Amino acid sequence: MFNTGTIYSNFTPLVKSPVIGYRISGEDVLLILKKLTKRNFFKDHSIMKLVELHNIDGTILDKCNVVYFKSPNSFTGEDVCEIFIHGSPLIASQLEQLFKDFNIPGLRLAQKGEFSFRSVLNNKYSLKQAKAINLIINNESFSSLEYNKKILFEGDSVSGLAPLREDIVNLFSEITASIDFVDDEEFNFKKIMKKARGFFNCCNKLLHKNRTKIEQKNICRVMLIGPVNVGKSTLFNKIIDKDRAIVTEIKGTTRDILSNQIIVDGKKFEIFDTAGQRSKQGRIEKFGYKKAQKLSKEIDHFFILKDKKTKNRDLNQLYKDFDINKNFTIIETKSDKFSYKSKNIKINHNLNREDLFKRINLSRIYKKYIAHKNHILEFNLSEIEFLEKILEYERDILNEKDILIIAQLMRNILDDFSYEFGYINNEDVYDRVFSNFCIGK
Amino acid sequence: MEHYDVIVIGAGHAGIEAANICEKYGLKTALITKNQSDLGKLSCNPSIGGVGKTHIASEVDILGGVICKIGDKSAIHYRVLNLSKGPAVWGVRAQIDRDLYAKNMQKYIKSSKIELIEDEAINILQKNNKIIGVDCINAGKIKSKVVILTTGTFLNGKIYFGNDVKEAGRIGNSSSKELAKFINKNFKTMRLKTGTPPRIYTQSIDYDILDPQPSENNGIFLSYFTKQNTNKNINCYITKTNNKTHKIIRDNLDKSAMYSGIIKSQGVRYCPSIEDKLTKFGDRNGHNIFLEPEGLNSDLVYPNGISNSLDKKIQLKFLRSIKGLEKCEVDQFGYAVEYDSVDPRELKNNFETKKIENFFLAGQINGTTGYEEAAGQGIYAGIHAVVKLKKAKLDNKIFERDNSYIGVLVDDLTKLGVTEPYRMFTSRAENRLKLRTDNSYERFATNISTKIFNKTDYNLINKNIANEKKIIKKLESLKYSPNDLMKKKIKVKKDGKIRNGFEVLKFLDPTTNNFKDFFNIAINQKLLTKIYFDSKYEVFYERERKSFDQLNKNKNMNLTNIDFNKIPSLSREILEKLNKYKPVNLHDAGKISGITPSALFQIIKHKRIKGTKVA
Repeated sequence: MFNTGTIYSNFTPLVKSPVIGYRISGEDVLLILKKLTKRNFFKDHSIMKLVELHNIDGTILDKCNVVYFKSPNSFTGEDVCEIFIHGSPLIASQLEQLFKDFNIPGLRLAQKGEFSFRSVLNNKYSLKQAKAINLIINNESFSSLEYNKKILFEGDSVSGLAPLREDIVNLFSEITASIDFVDDEEFNFKKIMKKARGFFNCCNKLLHKNRTKIEQKNICRVMLIGPVNVGKSTLFNKIIDKDRAIVTEIKGTTRDILSNQIIVDGKKFEIFDTAGQRSKQGRIEKFGYKKAQKLSKEIDHFFILKDKKTKNRDLNQLYKDFDINKNFTIIETKSDKFSYKSKNIKINHNLNREDLFKRINLSRIYKKYIAHKNHILEFNLSEIEFLEKILEYERDILNEKDILIIAQLMRNILDDFSYEFGYINNEDVYDRVFSNFCIGK
Repeated sequence: MEHYDVIVIGAGHAGIEAANICEKYGLKTALITKNQSDLGKLSCNPSIGGVGKTHIASEVDILGGVICKIGDKSAIHYRVLNLSKGPAVWGVRAQIDRDLYAKNMQKYIKSSKIELIEDEAINILQKNNKIIGVDCINAGKIKSKVVILTTGTFLNGKIYFGNDVKEAGRIGNSSSKELAKFINKNFKTMRLKTGTPPRIYTQSIDYDILDPQPSENNGIFLSYFTKQNTNKNINCYITKTNNKTHKIIRDNLDKSAMYSGIIKSQGVRYCPSIEDKLTKFGDRNGHNIFLEPEGLNSDLVYPNGISNSLDKKIQLKFLRSIKGLEKCEVDQFGYAVEYDSVDPRELKNNFETKKIENFFLAGQINGTTGYEEAAGQGIYAGIHAVVKLKKAKLDNKIFERDNSYIGVLVDDLTKLGVTEPYRMFTSRAENRLKLRTDNSYERFATNISTKIFNKTDYNLINKNIANEKKIIKKLESLKYSPNDLMKKKIKVKKDGKIRNGFEVLKFLDPTTNNFKDFFNIAINQKLLTKIYFDSKYEVFYERERKSFDQLNKNKNMNLTNIDFNKIPSLSREILEKLNKYKPVNLHDAGKISGITPSALFQIIKHKRIKGTKVA
C-alpha cells in the first residue's frame, strides 16, 4: 500500500548519459529546493532555471537545470520538481545521499507506480488514463499506441467499452424495473433475456475482433535476397542507417541473417539481410542461406536485388529457393553501370537515403500487407482482459431461469464496470429506470 | 405533572408502531394526536404492501409491530405481485377497508397501556441538549425521557388544488406550524412534495364496461401470524386514460400547481402525477388507472394512477373523458401536498437526532414516503428508545443492511440523505436473495421474545422453527447417488457423489417437481418452498458473506492523509464526504454517512489494483 510523504525517483536510467533526471513530488518540494539551491522557487513555477545544487557543507554538487511545478499544475497534482543533473551515476548517488541527509520526515524514494498513483488520486488522470500511460510506455504496437494515446488525451469516453457500459446499465435497469415495478409496465422475461444475449454477443464480437487485431503483427517484414555480392548488405545498411552488415567486395561476406527494426513514417518494419545465392556456398554460408529460406514463409515482401552480372538462371533459382509469390520488387543495384531501360527500381551507391526511400517506397509496401488489417483499435489489453472477465458470467446468466439470480450476477458485472469506469450506484440505475419506464401510480 | 418514559407525537403508521413497541417493552408511553378519530388513518391509497413495501412490513410484523396484523384484519382484496419470480421478491398487497383499519387500530391502541392524549404539541422541551418533555396547547408541559416525533406531512404542510393553496397537513387537518418552527430552528430541513388523486363515488362508475381485477386467495397474507381473512373480498377495476384525457390535461398544465411553478419542491419520481406521466411519456396511448374500493361500506373509490394538482374543474373534465367514469361524481379532488422534512443525516444510526439527546424522528418527516416505510422507522426508533432507556438489549446485527430492509432504509437515510421522498425497492438491498419475507423470523431470531409477542404468536414461531429443523434433518438423512437422481430425471454431474436431500433440493424445479412426491415424505409445501430457496440461494449468501468478511478483514486499512476525495471510481458525493471526514481507516470510513459498502469495496479494490498494475 502506498503512503504519504514526499517522494523522489530518477526518471531516466542511472547510466552514464548526457543527463539524468530526478522527479520529486509532495508537500516538501519547496523546502527541498530551498535546501538544495539556497533560493526560493515559490514564484518561479513552470520555468526551467539553471541553478547550482549545494551540498550541506556548502560545496557545489552540480550546476544544472531545475523546474518547479506548483500544485495543482503538475503531473501528480502535488508540488513537483524535476532536476536534470549531469549524467553521471556518481552525481546521482550523491544527490540521493543528500536527500537522505536532509532528514526531512516522510521524504523517501518512490515506489514503483507511485507518481502515477498520486496523479490518479489527485484527479489529474482517470484510472483508465493512468493505465493507458503504462500501456503507452510498454507499447509494442502502433495501433494500440494510438488507442492508448486517445484515451490519455481525450478521456474515458473514447474507450470501446463505453457503449457496453451504457448497455449494461440499461439492461440492469430493465431487470430492476421488471422486479420492483412489475405493476407498472409490461415486462417480458424472454425479451430481457434476448437483450442479455445481445449484450454478451456484443462482448464476444468485440473481444474476438479486437483480440485478433491485437495479436496481429503490425510489423512489415522485408527481406533482401539476391545473388552474392549484388549489394544487399550495402542496401541493408543504408535502409537501417547504421553500419551493421559488413560490406566487402568479397563474395559471400554475409553468411547469417541480419535483421533490424526501423520506423518509417510511423510504420514499423523489420528488414532482413541474407546470405547471397551462389552455387558454391561455404558450409556456414549454406546454413545461413537455408535459414533465410525457412524464414521466407514469414516474410511479407522481398527485395530481389540484381546487377548487371545477374543472370536469369540465378533469379529463377531464387524464386525456387524462397517462398515468393508475387510479393517482390526487383531492384537493380549499381545502376550507374546499367545501360538498358527497365521498369525495375534502380539504385546506386550515390543515392542519398531520402531518395532511396522515395524509390523503394516502403509505405506502399506496408499498406499492401499490413495497414489494411489494422484499423484503429477499440480496446487496449487491460480492456480485453476486462471483457474476458465479463464473459465469464455469460453461461451462468443465459442458463439461469431465476431473474433474481440473473439480477445478482448482473450486479456483479455492474460492479466490475464501476471499477473500470467509476462508480455506478443505485441512483444511477434508478435514474435510468424512471426515464425509460413510466413507473408508479 | 405526568412523567413518561416516552412520548410519541403523531399517530400515523410510524407513531403507532413506535408507541406500540415501547409499551410492549414496558415503557410508560403516551401518544399525542390532534384528533383521536384520525388515529390509524390511511391518508393516501387504501392498500398496504407491494414489492419492497411488504418486505419492510413483514419485518415490522416479526419485530412485534401491528401494521400487518391490523392490515390483514381489515383487508378486502389480496394480490401477490411477482409470484412468477422467486419468493425473495414476492410482494403481497392487500386492499384495505379504511374505516375497518382505523376502527381496528383504535380498538387495539385503546386496549393497550398506551396513553392517548388528544392535543397539539407545539414545542419540544430540552435542557442542555437533552429531552425533558413536550409542550402542548391544552395539557401544557408534559415531562418525558424520550420524545419520538412522527409528524408525517404536517410540518408547514400546504395543499394545492391548481392555484388554490391551503395550509394543511392533509385535507381536513391543520398543519403543525408551531412545531415546524422548532424543527426548522434546530435541524436542516427541506421541502418535499407528494400528491393524491381525487376520490370518486362508486355509484357514479359504470363497472359493467370495465375489466375487473378479482382478489387472489393464495393463502399468503401480510402477517406471518394471520391464518385467514374472513372479510368479504371485493374486486378492483382497471381503466385507462386516453388521448382525449391527455389533451384536456395538456391544455391545462398552467392550472396545475406543479406545472404552473407554484410548487418548486422535489416530487417523487416513482409516484408521478398524471401531469408528469404525460410530459415524460406523452407518446403512450393510455396510462392505467386502478379503481380501488375504499371499503366494504364506503361509497368511495380511489383511482390509483392519476394523482394530480390540477384545478378542480379540470379534474372533473378529464375524469369524465375516461372509460367507465363518463358520469363520475367526485367527493374530494386530488391535490398536491408540500411539507417540511428533516434531512435524515441529522440522525444518528439509531434515529436519535445528533443534536438533541433522546429525541427521535421517524416516518415521513425523515424524507420517506409510504405507510410501510413509516412503520419500519417507527418500530426502529421505538426499539432504539427502549435500548436507550436500558429496557432491552439489542443485537445490532439484525439492523445491518445485509440482514434487513429496515437496515437498508436506515443506512440509506442516515448516510446518503434524500433528494426525493424515499421509497423502498428490493433492488436497494445488495443482499436481496436473503432478505425474504419467508425467513424474517430467522433474520430477527435474536429479537423474538415473549415481551413482544403474546403466547399464541410466540409458540407459533417456535413451533415453525422446530418443524423446519426437523424437516431439514429428515432431508439430510435422505441419500441420493447420481444414478438415483438420473432415474428421477434430475440432471447432476455424474461424479459418484452421494447427495443428501437438502443438497438435492436446489436441483429441482418448483414449477414441475412436486417436492412431496419427490422425497416421499409429508412436508408442508410452504415450508419446503422456503427451504428450497435457502438451498438454492445458499451459494449467493456465501458470496455476500465473503464480501462482508473482506470488509471486516480490511477494517484497519490505513487511510490517513490520503485524499480520497479524488479517487475516480467513487461518486462525487462519496468523495466529498471522505474528504470532509478524513477517516483514519476503512472502519471509520464505513461509519461516515453516505459511504455505502460498495463504495468501501471500491476503495479496497481500487487500492489493491493500483498497487500492482499502474506504472
